[in-house]
Amino acid sequence: MADQPFLRCEKLVKRFGPFTALGGVDLDVYSGEVHALLGDNGAGKSTLIKTLAGVHAPTEGQIYIEGAPVTFRTPRDASNAGIGTVYQDLAVNPLMSVTRNFFMGRELTNSFGVLNMKQMDEITHDEMLKIGIDISDPSQAVGTMSGGQRQTLAIARAIHFGAKVLILDEPTSALGQKQQMEVLKTMMRVRARGDIAIIFITHNEIHSKLVADRMTFLALGQVIGSGTKAELEGEDIRRLMAGGAEMADLEQELAAI
Amino acid sequence: MSGRSESDRLKQETRLQRLVRRPEIGTFVVMVIIIVALAFFSSGKAYNALGLKNNIAIIAQYGIIATGAALLMISGEFDLSIGSMIGFAGMSMAMMLKWGLPFGLGEATPITAFIFTMAMTLALGWLIGTIVVRSGLSSFIVTLAFLFFLRGATEVAYRYINKSTQISGLPDYKQNSWFAEMMGGEVFGWFYDVWFMLGGNLNRRGEQWVTGFDARFLWWIIIAAAAYFILSRTRIGNWIFATGDNKESARANGVPVNAVKVGLFMFTAFCATMFAACQVFDTNTSDAAKGNLMELYAIAIAVVGGTLMTGGFGSVLGVAFGAVTVGLVANAVFFIPQIDGSWFRVFLGGILLAAVFANERIRKRITGGI
Repeated sequence: MADQPFLRCEKLVKRFGPFTALGGVDLDVYSGEVHALLGDNGAGKSTLIKTLAGVHAPTEGQIYIEGAPVTFRTPRDASNAGIGTVYQDLAVNPLMSVTRNFFMGRELTNSFGVLNMKQMDEITHDEMLKIGIDISDPSQAVGTMSGGQRQTLAIARAIHFGAKVLILDEPTSALGQKQQMEVLKTMMRVRARGDIAIIFITHNEIHSKLVADRMTFLALGQVIGSGTKAELEGEDIRRLMAGGAEMADLEQELAAI
Repeated sequence: MSGRSESDRLKQETRLQRLVRRPEIGTFVVMVIIIVALAFFSSGKAYNALGLKNNIAIIAQYGIIATGAALLMISGEFDLSIGSMIGFAGMSMAMMLKWGLPFGLGEATPITAFIFTMAMTLALGWLIGTIVVRSGLSSFIVTLAFLFFLRGATEVAYRYINKSTQISGLPDYKQNSWFAEMMGGEVFGWFYDVWFMLGGNLNRRGEQWVTGFDARFLWWIIIAAAAYFILSRTRIGNWIFATGDNKESARANGVPVNAVKVGLFMFTAFCATMFAACQVFDTNTSDAAKGNLMELYAIAIAVVGGTLMTGGFGSVLGVAFGAVTVGLVANAVFFIPQIDGSWFRVFLGGILLAAVFANERIRKRITGGI
């Protein structure tokens, strides 16, 4: 276990008018670990990651990076502080080439604003290769890539531009079985670097057990359980996944119909 | 399974295959067919010294505004105010030349009239763009409003100040003003000189017939070359593609989406003003109907040139081919008198529809059939 969490949230509260989306969430994320964030729809996962990504400002509570308190006013602040978010829609443009997507908004140019296409192609190829995908032609359109490859592109891009915390918003949903495994492998390769913390948002209990070092369960805007994988037992995980409801209850209810 | 990866499924293509699959290829083929067909049916008259000059004149006019329209469409927006902007800019320049600069600043010269007009049209382009990005309304409706607004304002201004909706009989500024000569004079005179020296380009008395192309030919080349370079080789070009392809993902990656769009609305206004300046200084006249329907030709040529209606994809080179194709057909009636001039619009409608289908196919191919 690392000595100090890279990212730490203390009693994070987010209210939208009368609605409390987050009711005092604590979260510790360590470099070189995968931290699974689980919870049902509406549990507050999206609000939490948007707060971490600088999209929302927290109503109360504090975020710390390497022990120092930070305030994000814009997504750019969060990104500069090393928080890279890979949203579900991946923020890629299908008609543009892999390289043009990789450097979108952060193009390498000479002093006249002219693109260094060759250098950008090389960096894109190398960075993708580092996390396991060999793109033969960086000028191919992203539209021709599989969902897993697009996910890898978005992850490689976030890492290349300095992400120390990688927030992956349901990266395995909407993918086929094999591609899900590719994404999990990619996550493990990133984890193996040791200097990047991954927050892995998922609905999938199996996936989280496969890759996560730590888990946090959210329900109705609050943490209902958290700990290392060893601390949480299988039954416990299933109960927490369902937002605290007993699976046994559900089995009975189903049988009664 | 062994040793195979996803990337192996993308077939490597030869140079010829790549060439054939370029988005401009369809427009290029149509252009070649039209060039050959026009030569055949006009018995070569379309490409004699004067025919070539006249064809290039209209091609350059279309090319200038279609380049602006295409860049804007690639960023995902439309501008229906181009035609009215041409009328407005022409009115503004001609009126200043005839009645003096506004605010009692005295006599206008071609260059001051141009600068004042360009400042106004760029400001209008900025205003249109800002309304579109701030309101989130469709650019179709916002620029439709400006189509009416600017045309009406042009007519009102003419009647109020000039008592007539046209201005003619301005002095020929080209004689004394290098600037007017640059806009409305002749360029590439050497081309016709060489032609004459080689024994062609003769009028009935055996003298040199045509002395040069219209200046707008050069402006079209400059504008198209700059647009090509910016779009394919610079950071701003990447931003234009990104903005039109998926605005939200572009924004999430730090692309200044709104600035890109506002800038391109200003670029279409710039193109419309250049169109108008070339016209005013060429003919020394102006009237309220100038540029009518030009916004639709500009959009049609952009689409024929391979620009996607939905944004995110397009080629300046394709648009240049489209301008040549449409310009030649528009002029064909002058060289083939037996055909009805309205066939031009029948043809334009036909290739526009064909182009939309072809573009959709290209889009599907790029995005993997989605």
